[in-house]
Amino acid sequence: MSAEPAVSKEDIDQLYSRLKKEAEATGYFLNPDIDFTKSLVKGLLVNEGRYGYWACPCRLAEGVKSTDLDIICPCDYRDADLGQYGTCY
Amino acid sequence: MAKHVPGKKGSYIMLYALSTCPWCQKTKRLLDEMGMEYYYEDVDLLSGDARRDVMVDIERWNPNRSFPTVVVDDSRCIIGFQENELRNLLKV
Repeated sequence: MSAEPAVSKEDIDQLYSRLKKEAEATGYFLNPDIDFTKSLVKGLLVNEGRYGYWACPCRLAEGVKSTDLDIICPCDYRDADLGQYGTCY
Repeated sequence: MAKHVPGKKGSYIMLYALSTCPWCQKTKRLLDEMGMEYYYEDVDLLSGDARRDVMVDIERWNPNRSFPTVVVDDSRCIIGFQENELRNLLKV
């Protein structure tokens, strides 16, 4: 695979703030461990650079959007995981 | 080919990870902190046959093919970031 797409701290902070607002507006909360959550956000941005969409950083994407639709954040498994683990995968 | 991280020799530890996954990063940090020798593969950085072959290996241990997956001594498997289980298994 080619070099990792560059992701800046500013991009991460900006998307983190946006996702926090959007999550809270719809009754969800981001993980209060901000460093951990920002590393997830970085993973989303890396995957956006690679594939053009926010494939879940913790699931293996095929790189074909139609195949990966179920793992694009917020993924199809979020609410089931929240019910089972109290957090998304 | 899996990456090698030198450290204390003991169990043969193989970590299947994704470079983008914070739980995988936590698992690497834990193994680093324990000072263990281990091998890892960032599966998202593989392509073609190399990725397919690794996924077949993972599926033997973890049919859900989720990450991180840690295989110890080709006999035990820990799925997810499980600090206590990993410490107990490696007796550290």
